[in-house]
Amino acid sequence: MRARQRPVYLNLFQIRQPITAMVSLAHRVSGVLLFLAIPYAAYLLGLSVTSSEAFTSVIGLLQQPWPKLLGLAVIWGLAHHLFAGIRFLLIDADIGVQKPSAILGAWLVIVAEIIVVAVSGVGFWL
Amino acid sequence: MSTFVLEGLRPWVIQRVSAVYIALFLLYLLYSAVTAHSVDFDTWRGWLFQPLNSVSMALFVLAILFHAWIGMRDVVLDYVHNIMLRILVLALIIGTLLGSGLWAFRALLLTVTG
Repeated sequence: MRARQRPVYLNLFQIRQPITAMVSLAHRVSGVLLFLAIPYAAYLLGLSVTSSEAFTSVIGLLQQPWPKLLGLAVIWGLAHHLFAGIRFLLIDADIGVQKPSAILGAWLVIVAEIIVVAVSGVGFWL
Repeated sequence: MSTFVLEGLRPWVIQRVSAVYIALFLLYLLYSAVTAHSVDFDTWRGWLFQPLNSVSMALFVLAILFHAWIGMRDVVLDYVHNIMLRILVLALIIGTLLGSGLWAFRALLLTVTG
C-alpha cells in the first residue's frame, strides 16, 4: 500500500498557541527548572545550618549578581508553578473549565506571577 | 512493584496532595521569614530546632521528592522515546532527587542534634 501524502504540520513553534496552552507549557518548563534547582537548594540548606560563617556566606552568595538573577528565575518558576498549579487544581474541581473562564484563569496566573517577580526583583536590587 | 512504579490513579493523587502540602508549607515558611526578628544563623537554627518546624520541613522535603519524581517522570515519558536513553535519564533524575533529599535530611538532622 502506498503511503498517502497527507499534510502534516506540527511545528509547535509555528502554530500560534492560545494563552491557556502557553500557561500549560510554562507549567512544565517551570517544573523542570525547579527540579534543576533542587540539588542547589539542598546544598545551600546544608551549608546554612553548619555554622554562623557558612550561613553568612550563603546570604553573601545570594547577593552576588548572577546567583541573584538565577534566584529570580527560580522565584519566577516557583510563582508560575504555584499559580498555574492552583488553576489546574480548580480545573480538577470543575472551576474554570469553560473557554472564557479558562482564558481568564490563564491571564490571572500571568498577572499574579508578574507581580511576584516584579516585587522580588525590586526587593533584590533596591 | 507497583508501589515504586506508581501506576494508575496513585501518582495523580500523590501529585495533588503533595502540591497542596508544598504550597501550604511555603506559605508558612514565608510567614515565618517575614515575622522573624532578624535574619541570622541563630534565628534560623532556633526556628529549625522547633519540633513542628523540623518535622514539617522534613515532610516538605519528602513531598518535594515525590512531586518532582512524578512530574519529571511524566515529562520524560512524553518526550524521551528511546528506551535506553529513557532509563538513563530516569536513573539520573532519581539519583539527583535521592541525593538531594538525603543531603537535606542530613542537614535537618544536624539542626536537631547540634
